[in-house]
Amino acid sequence: MVRDPSKTLRISHVGLRGVVGTGLTATHALDFASAFATFLEPGKGVVIGRDPRASGVMMREAVIAGLLACGKNVIDLGIAPTPVIQHTIRRLDATGGVSIGASHNAAEWNALKFFGRQAIYLSTAEASELLDIYHLRNFAFAGWDRLGKLRLESGAIDLYLDELAAVYDFESLRGFRVVVDCCNGTSSLILRRMNERFGFQFILINAQIEGVSFAHEPSTTRATVALQLAPLMKPLGADAGFLFDADSDRVGIAAEDGAPISEEMVLPVLADYLLPRAPGKLVITNLSTTALLEDVARRHGGEVVRVPVGRQAAIDALSSYRPEQIALAGEGTGAVMMPQFRFIYDGIASMLALLSMMRERGQKLTEIMGGYPRHEILKGQVPLVTQRIPALLMELRARYSDGRVNVLDGLRVDWPDRWFHVRVSQTEPIVRIICERRGDAPRELFDALLEQIRSFA
Amino acid sequence: MPQREHLLKVGVSGVRGVVGEFLTPGLACAFGQAFGTYVGAGRVAVGRDTRASGPMLQHAVTCGLLASGCEVVDVGVLPTPTIQIYVASTHARGGLAITASHNPSEYNALKLFNTEGLFFNSYERGELLDLYHQSDFRRATNAEIRSVHCDYTSAPQMHLERVFQHVDRERIRRRRFRVALDAVNGAGSIMTVDFLREKLGCELHAIAVDPAQPFPREPEPKAESLGELSELVRRESCEIGFAQDPDGDRLAVLDETGRVLDNDDVLALAVDAALARAPGDVVVNLTTSNVIADVAAKRGRKIHRTPVGEANVVETMCAVGAAIGGEGSNGGIIFPAVHLCRDSYTGMAFLLDLMADTGEPISTVAARLPRYFRRLGKAPYEHGRLGPLMQDLESRFPGAELDRTDGLKVITPEGWIHVRASNTEPLLRVAAEAVTEDAVERIYAEVMGMAGGG
Repeated sequence: MVRDPSKTLRISHVGLRGVVGTGLTATHALDFASAFATFLEPGKGVVIGRDPRASGVMMREAVIAGLLACGKNVIDLGIAPTPVIQHTIRRLDATGGVSIGASHNAAEWNALKFFGRQAIYLSTAEASELLDIYHLRNFAFAGWDRLGKLRLESGAIDLYLDELAAVYDFESLRGFRVVVDCCNGTSSLILRRMNERFGFQFILINAQIEGVSFAHEPSTTRATVALQLAPLMKPLGADAGFLFDADSDRVGIAAEDGAPISEEMVLPVLADYLLPRAPGKLVITNLSTTALLEDVARRHGGEVVRVPVGRQAAIDALSSYRPEQIALAGEGTGAVMMPQFRFIYDGIASMLALLSMMRERGQKLTEIMGGYPRHEILKGQVPLVTQRIPALLMELRARYSDGRVNVLDGLRVDWPDRWFHVRVSQTEPIVRIICERRGDAPRELFDALLEQIRSFA
Repeated sequence: MPQREHLLKVGVSGVRGVVGEFLTPGLACAFGQAFGTYVGAGRVAVGRDTRASGPMLQHAVTCGLLASGCEVVDVGVLPTPTIQIYVASTHARGGLAITASHNPSEYNALKLFNTEGLFFNSYERGELLDLYHQSDFRRATNAEIRSVHCDYTSAPQMHLERVFQHVDRERIRRRRFRVALDAVNGAGSIMTVDFLREKLGCELHAIAVDPAQPFPREPEPKAESLGELSELVRRESCEIGFAQDPDGDRLAVLDETGRVLDNDDVLALAVDAALARAPGDVVVNLTTSNVIADVAAKRGRKIHRTPVGEANVVETMCAVGAAIGGEGSNGGIIFPAVHLCRDSYTGMAFLLDLMADTGEPISTVAARLPRYFRRLGKAPYEHGRLGPLMQDLESRFPGAELDRTDGLKVITPEGWIHVRASNTEPLLRVAAEAVTEDAVERIYAEVMGMAGGG
């Protein structure tokens, strides 16, 4: 079957997500919130917040109604970055949390992300239970005299910043001249406060909180960084440029010379910064992320663990190691978790780590980026009939049997200087092709793969 | 016998049920979305009474309204008539009151209003219900979704300004009436204290005016549950006592002796006051006393009778351009010059104005009304019982005038009997009225015997 691209609703282990109106409806949000409240252990309430999308107002009402109806007290942070929501869950020892927002997707999308008591995304086993409750629709509604109460909370950002200030030396970082593209999202709330409270010099663009017309898609890719942020670097004489997605859990980078940096670079650079302090530790990432990570890990005696693509596999992998074994975790999208923050995807913390690295090394961004062997990555996609995917993967596997094969998530084949990963998207009816080589782009291999997948009948 | 108590009722009057397993946020959200789809993308006002389940249901309804593309005005905790007047005054597309009115605390319900702040007529209610059942909702996209605004202050003012246009506020203020109030900790708690003490200059003795507390008595304001208020009237030598229900549409009145006046007599006094002020007919339900017909006749006005239910009375009032209407036994006064809704504030204002005008105690004024004797009762309902009971009644009173618009009303020269099925509970309701006490006891006992009630 070929999926209709307008049918956008996806309900899965990572929560629910879709285009509001045509895919994602009020009923989905309300039922999912009721299921989550049924799933949660009794405790001190549930922390919620949202990104600025207009539909977030509707989704918020659904989430509050579902939680209150099941007897959960709700602490609403209003428009708030996801890392702040997670920080608040831990600070209040809340029983869980919900972030309402579609992160890097276009404005018409929305989603619900669920957090457990440790402020970490639900494990696959927990998420499976949540899905079962959702599908059964047998929600634990409380009696009329045991319903939850709603409380609005402000000031969560300041308390979050207190924690960041305890880890990073704000005094030494605030002198940097930094330009930020806030993509009309929540990061401006944090950065403005850092300017006011700590004397940072963030110059913000697209800082207006906006519900409908984002200046551009809030994705942290190099292409988006190139749109408005990168061209401002030289005119403004900036030391660094950063771009955050709508809920501030991912970051993109522009160098001081105006070059947009690939989103693939965020994780390897931060690994290069953190691994020397954590010798021999692990970097957890997915199969589609750049092989530069292995180069960096080798340099510091670390080790790369590759898991299937998607947040869920990373969360499960994290829980299968002791926290002290892990140096950091992340993906090639600009989403990175660091142990100082108990493994929460946090774009703001990632930015501060990078600035700290520049300060400590006394290097400019271009100098840091120039210190790595060049890898060129090519990414493509082909629409496909779902039914034929296993046969396609078998055929590719046979054709490229001279490489090292990994079938954890689709097919990845590695050679000493290059690799490719062919996998089925979890969000769209397409096959994704990622192909990388040390040195020049692997154009021939990439074209061959594209052709083989397109002509597969 | 199967469980016939309706813990959830989804019908032409909206949604009503016990919160928890029965009236769920999902149901409220879907009804909100159906309502928003029906009235169209525009402003919709939402308010509630003081029930503990109100906030949860308000979030659910607001969600459904936003999802349909409506802009929501949250008017907070307010009496139902005040919400209706706000809708009309602000030209909103419609309004919702989250209240189960006089039902116990565990219940809640949605009352739905059109752009004029009126109940939908029976045809519109059917359309809306079909839309709900078909889940045929408008689903707004991100660019179409509007926001929520709060307006907690302007509605009471809009409402009371309308009321004060029809009474002599200065003459009431000059009398500094000693008034007792029991607001059942309901939606009227704050507004009614302001209305009586500040606006009308009464010396107020109030109980149960804390909206954060639960209902301290049975929410329906009737004689059996107003002992404390009656005591208060006597202790403080009040000239009149008022009791509201949780959403401030129903009113019970106590005279200076602490006696709860018959609701039909209160309506009769209000009808007389209204007919002195406005042209038009009178509309009441079939179970309302003939005392209202007498008052109307004295002023040369026509009386129309409808099936029981505020929406039915309002629909007919609208159609005939009535001067006033109401439902006697329910404590409801509807004066369209203020608004076509059941309004305890108009009732209170009329009675205080009447006392200021005559200078007489309220018991004396009430005693001048024609005297009827009434009995109200109920019998257990079983499917298939009402028809044979109606047949028996008809043969028992040969030659009597019959009205079959809502159950059966048998009208004889000495009085009448009305038997019908309750709209909200598995009960048969029986009402009887006659000009003598003996007569009413006789016919009432006879009908209750036939109905198997007690």
